[in-house]
Amino acid sequence: MLRKLLKHEFRATGRIMGPLYLILLVLSICANVSVRLLGTSGSTMLNIFGGLVMVLFFVGIMAVCIVTLVLMINRFRTNLLGDEGYVMFTLPASVHQQVWSKIIVSTVWSIASGAAVFLAAGITVFRVDYVNDFFRWLEMIFRQITSYYAINGAAFALEALALLLISCAAFCLQFYAAMAVGHSFVGHKSLLSVVFFFVFQFALQFLGLSGAFSFEGFNFGGAAAIHAALWIMIASCAAVGVIFYLITTFMLKRHLNLE
Amino acid sequence: MAILECRDLSKRFGNTPALNGINLSVEPGRIVGLLGPNGSGKTTLIKLANGLLTPSEGQILIDGAAPGKQTRSEVSYLPDRTCLPTWMTAARLLDFYGDFYADFRRDAAEQMLEHLNIPQKQTIKQMSKGTREKVQLILVMSRAARLYLLDEPIGGVDPATRDYILNTIISNYNPDAAVVISTHLISDVEKVLDDVIFINQGQVALQSSVDQIREEKGMSVDALFREVFKC
Amino acid sequence: MEWGFNADAPIYSQLIDQIKQGIIAGAFPPGERLPSVREMATEAGVNPNTMQRALAELERDGLVYSQRTAGRYVTEDQTMIESVKKTLAETQVQAFLDAMSRLGFKKGEILELVRRDTAREED
Repeated sequence: MLRKLLKHEFRATGRIMGPLYLILLVLSICANVSVRLLGTSGSTMLNIFGGLVMVLFFVGIMAVCIVTLVLMINRFRTNLLGDEGYVMFTLPASVHQQVWSKIIVSTVWSIASGAAVFLAAGITVFRVDYVNDFFRWLEMIFRQITSYYAINGAAFALEALALLLISCAAFCLQFYAAMAVGHSFVGHKSLLSVVFFFVFQFALQFLGLSGAFSFEGFNFGGAAAIHAALWIMIASCAAVGVIFYLITTFMLKRHLNLE
Repeated sequence: MAILECRDLSKRFGNTPALNGINLSVEPGRIVGLLGPNGSGKTTLIKLANGLLTPSEGQILIDGAAPGKQTRSEVSYLPDRTCLPTWMTAARLLDFYGDFYADFRRDAAEQMLEHLNIPQKQTIKQMSKGTREKVQLILVMSRAARLYLLDEPIGGVDPATRDYILNTIISNYNPDAAVVISTHLISDVEKVLDDVIFINQGQVALQSSVDQIREEKGMSVDALFREVFKC
Repeated sequence: MEWGFNADAPIYSQLIDQIKQGIIAGAFPPGERLPSVREMATEAGVNPNTMQRALAELERDGLVYSQRTAGRYVTEDQTMIESVKKTLAETQVQAFLDAMSRLGFKKGEILELVRRDTAREED
């Protein structure tokens, strides 16, 4: 059932994200061309045009980031807590499956958007020597890390990836939990959702968990410290995620209040 | 065994009681009218049966089980509002229902869409309010469910469509399935019903068969309703 | 065949009357197979259980009979159909007479009115 939910969730979101990525691709190619022309061409008109393309390119990047966030929030709000909730919550699927489908899809899009922005930037500045430089730089870093700190590069990358995934999911869940609580009230559902989001945010800070999100307070004395720091962050993100997950599913199961 | 059963079922919203000690049962093969004035608790009862609300007290059972993942595959529910995702086309909705419900009869749905001249390529957003309601009803009636819960199915449609809807309910009749129709348009549905449940201020005011009412009281259900709920 | 229902009598008994009329008027000819319960219910716009009940009652009276798998048939017994026709006619007449007497007509006056009316139609 989760597989079917995922399929339809990707369908519903892909029709927005797909074209957006395509636009960003086109814009980054245009930006690449204008970067080359800007320096070399003497024409003012061409320079203005080139500048305009660059502005559009940055707007495109911002749009991808904003739409990813808005879509994550909106899919949960309209598809589960709005009128469409009548259809979704009467499907033979559990609340857990519903929430997981939203978490997975939002996390995938967040990472895809990050990759798309990265790729777009890469296309814009693309020159063969840059690419060579980049790989040389990457190789150097890796070699240095491995030799200097004696860190297992692969383990490090895996931990970073896990942290990325888990923090993404936990971030989504903070929104979901806030909306699930806010929409259980009779009126002012959206306003209360925002209020609860900040309540959760303050609660996190109060608990000092947010401190774990930054590198502050950690001593980069050795490889073990970095591993430990990563693992602490992964664990705290996971703990936060689990709490928000429990809040979300409890509210959707017991206090669902569709209009 | 009853397909739908309520035992001392109560539901409160905050301090406001919506349902108060409901006891009733609906047997398979029956078409039952859930009749009551606006705000009497009809929609609350149907939402409870779908697990969209949780009882404050008592129990509601579908085929002996509390509403949940399992019962939802047996219940076909028409909400009192149109709630289909507006970006979807009719064809995509058929895919959607076919994917999630093993009992969905796509050919029946396609036939009904064609009969009502609803193009499959149109999105819900492009359709008029009446057409949206028809599509929703088609999706609900195209399932071979054990229990149909229809909340105000004839509320907002013209008389011709009303007849079509009632005919669809009759021709879809299955002795193993029960249909519960909530409405306040009694004269229109009366002929189609086996039994009626009058519900008023969150309580069952009367549960009887249509013919029994006519035989014993010498009046139609519509007339009796007007008498019981006289303002 | 046209179906119509009034407000006060049970629907199954109205169905019985209307099916009887259908048989007499030839809409359901003697010896012919009746449509299925569901078809008849859909056509009349009534609950299939109610239609079932009406047909069961007609069957008990012998006006229709069922053959195990083939469905229900209208009786071939013409005398029975005739007697049903007569009964229905008597009820109609009785209802008419009751209505006229409520209007204050005496038996003789009613007869006179009927005679005059039928004579005019024949012209």
